[in-house]
Amino acid sequence: MAVERIDGAAAPWRAPRWGAVSFLGLLALLLPWVLLRFGAGSFIAHMLIMFFLWSVVAQSWNLVLGVSGIYSFAQIALFAVGGWFTGVLSMSFGWNPWFSVALTPLVAVVAALLIGLPTLRLRGVYVVLLTLAFHELLRNYVTNGPRIISGGGYGLIGVPRLDFGPLSAVSHLIPSYYLALLFFVAATFAIWWIFQSPLGAAFSALRDSEGYAVGRGINQFRIKLFLFSFSAFFTGLAGGLMTHYLGSISQSIFAFSVLINVLAMIVIGGWGSFGGPIFGTALLLGLQEGLRELSDFRTLVLGLALALVAVVAPRGLWPMLRDGFRRFLDEPGEDTSNPSAASGPSQVSDESQSAVVESRSVDE
Amino acid sequence: MILEVEGLEAGYGAATVLHNIDLSMAEGEGVVVLGPNGHGKTTLLRAISAVTKPTSGTLRFAGEDVTGWRPDQIATAGLVHIPQGDALFPEMTVEDNLLMGAFVKPAWMSRQHRLERVYELLPTLKDRRRQLANSLSGGERRMLAIGRGLMAEAKLLMIDEPSLGLAPLLIEQIYDQIRAIKKSGLAILLADENADHVEGLADRVILLETGLFVREGPAETLLADEALLAAYLG
Amino acid sequence: MSELLQAVWGGILSGSVYGLMAIGLTLIWGAVRLLNLAHGALYVVGAYAAWTAINLVGFSLVVAIPVAVVAAGALGFLLHTVVIRPMLGRPGWDSASIIATVGVAIALQAATLLVFGPRVKQIPAVVSGSAVVASVRISYQGLVIVAVAVIALAALYFYLRSSRQGMAIRAVSQHMDAAALMGVPVERTYALVMVISAGLAGLAGVLLSSLLFLSPTSGFTPMIIALLVTIFGGLGSVKGTIVAAYLIGLLESSVQVYLGGALALPVLFLFIIVVLIVRPNGLFGVAEAQRL
Repeated sequence: MAVERIDGAAAPWRAPRWGAVSFLGLLALLLPWVLLRFGAGSFIAHMLIMFFLWSVVAQSWNLVLGVSGIYSFAQIALFAVGGWFTGVLSMSFGWNPWFSVALTPLVAVVAALLIGLPTLRLRGVYVVLLTLAFHELLRNYVTNGPRIISGGGYGLIGVPRLDFGPLSAVSHLIPSYYLALLFFVAATFAIWWIFQSPLGAAFSALRDSEGYAVGRGINQFRIKLFLFSFSAFFTGLAGGLMTHYLGSISQSIFAFSVLINVLAMIVIGGWGSFGGPIFGTALLLGLQEGLRELSDFRTLVLGLALALVAVVAPRGLWPMLRDGFRRFLDEPGEDTSNPSAASGPSQVSDESQSAVVESRSVDE
Repeated sequence: MILEVEGLEAGYGAATVLHNIDLSMAEGEGVVVLGPNGHGKTTLLRAISAVTKPTSGTLRFAGEDVTGWRPDQIATAGLVHIPQGDALFPEMTVEDNLLMGAFVKPAWMSRQHRLERVYELLPTLKDRRRQLANSLSGGERRMLAIGRGLMAEAKLLMIDEPSLGLAPLLIEQIYDQIRAIKKSGLAILLADENADHVEGLADRVILLETGLFVREGPAETLLADEALLAAYLG
Repeated sequence: MSELLQAVWGGILSGSVYGLMAIGLTLIWGAVRLLNLAHGALYVVGAYAAWTAINLVGFSLVVAIPVAVVAAGALGFLLHTVVIRPMLGRPGWDSASIIATVGVAIALQAATLLVFGPRVKQIPAVVSGSAVVASVRISYQGLVIVAVAVIALAALYFYLRSSRQGMAIRAVSQHMDAAALMGVPVERTYALVMVISAGLAGLAGVLLSSLLFLSPTSGFTPMIIALLVTIFGGLGSVKGTIVAAYLIGLLESSVQVYLGGALALPVLFLFIIVVLIVRPNGLFGVAEAQRL
């Protein structure tokens, strides 16, 4: 019932504005050639690569955390699995980086299955603990493990870069930019596909009421496992690409501040929404540069912002901005006739939620 | 008047269950609300004790305006609600459950005395005092719920369907006990599905249908009118 | 033989402290259904409060312990009033509350880093020296820690078992609506639980920091182990949590003695995964509808 009710008008994320999308696409394609004419251009190109890669991590984690309500904190660990796998193979075993990086998504999926199979049947609190445990154990291993992995505690330094053939001779930055862009577009499209599919509605049903989802015959465990692996696929690849692009990966990736940074991208941007993590990544990366002088205060502000958003605006900034923007653009009648339409999946969720609450209170 | 309810409306989400209910009770009075299942009896009691927040209406209890008070404040004022389904504390012993009934300070001070009185009235509970509430049988649970209600310093006792799901023999026992409580001078507001057991307990009877009071009158006349009862309660 | 005794003593010592940490987590979970990921930060705040009282004010540790408890407890109250109470009863509580406590944890960690700097500190022992009992070296400070922890746990146990407020805490966690019908002010009880739990975390912080070093991040591992303990003991069960704390403490210290310290955490995690597969509700846990 809930699934069929989402028609085009009530589900605007299903009908992207193709005009805006193609404009942005064209801009992204041409941008490097413009940027490199300026002094600061290569820095901006570098930031954009960072944005492309991190936003995929944030979007994938959002699928797990925000959409299906799996309280997993293993995302950075999965990212590191990809990074270390391709780093070690290309550095210490002489594999072609293209070949080893192509395997990273599969390795990350295998890791996700290893974590997911025993834990995803369990209650949410257990998932928090066990995924944090995985994070902690992996950090332990890459710090104290064999030398080719730990690098004596310094991580992997001097990982070979991806070879772009004749292009590399001109500039390493531009082909890296296009590769990251391609990856970003492909991953974002795949995640968008998940959001707009009937599966997406099933996911949010799952998040908001397990009882409801069970009642509708949704096999939570299989969906959760699929989603968890799906997000690991892109996260692992992002880790691999990042490692080759930067030429290194170190244990500092496991620092709590990194985890929190990505979490903040999702939460402040707007978790559970499609655009939220993308917006959040841009915002957080921008802030990171802008607030560089604040250094230690940054974490403090970030923590407070996380708590504040959770308490005051649990949907995050993106849905609020989007609604405000739409109210500004659209004819006034539309919003008032269906006030909750713009909130997308949460409309369904609120109803199912209150239905559950009701039946519970009536039972007593 | 111990209880004065005016224009009470309540419901769940968008659905209004109770419509514009007026009800007042004198001290020591026994009022029985009769109605088929799903017509708002439970909601009426829940709205009075504020477990379900009323959407409109005023509530006066023992001379005080208690409109908008939280359930714990209303309970502290002496309005004791024994809910449907008992709502026991499953992982606590029978005795601890009873003691929780005397949570409000003045009652807590004399809890040992109250405990003895309840054990006297419901001796089964004394035998089971060390058992966990979730190990009790249906009848024992009902008795515990009622005993817990009696532990409080009540001015008005609201009981929701005391006979629900009990064997006939037990039902008689439980109603006998409620009658005894009523005789001791406590005002009682009881919700029930049928009129089989309320004789000697009700001074006044109210028929509730689809959230409205459809009939109200002295117990003798209303309970005697079997055709009327059959029409409403089936 | 002496190795075994060494392991047992180590288990009692760390089990006592884990018990203090875990009891707080389990109480909050039981009453409010909140996974408080700021628990480790409360541990750190308690420890730094004690360190400040000792090094900057000049108190002795005996005075500093209550200071730690009060400081952490006050912070717990603040956490309840500012963060938790506004979120109560909202849809999406499960996820929003986890995120909020993560945010608070990060902010507190950053704040302690700003105030006290990254260098590790240590809280001095009440008594120095040690005795050798049956070839096991037992420090007097360790004895003090165990004694304080056991007294605190016992006091809490009797408080919950037979005091008016303590029983109300149990009642709220078992049936919130019914507790309100008995006259229990539910939200105030939540606040009480937060204060008690935070105070215990502060106590654990000051006690353990007289053995281990103290840094802004040193609350993380104790919190993770306390989480393990609460899950092992069955979330929300007080008795189960205390038993589990000592069992986990024993297991950890046996691994340390026989296999080496690096393996302690991995073995604990493996153990917990196996436990969860065999007994999904922990040792003493009650099955409940899957909520969080």
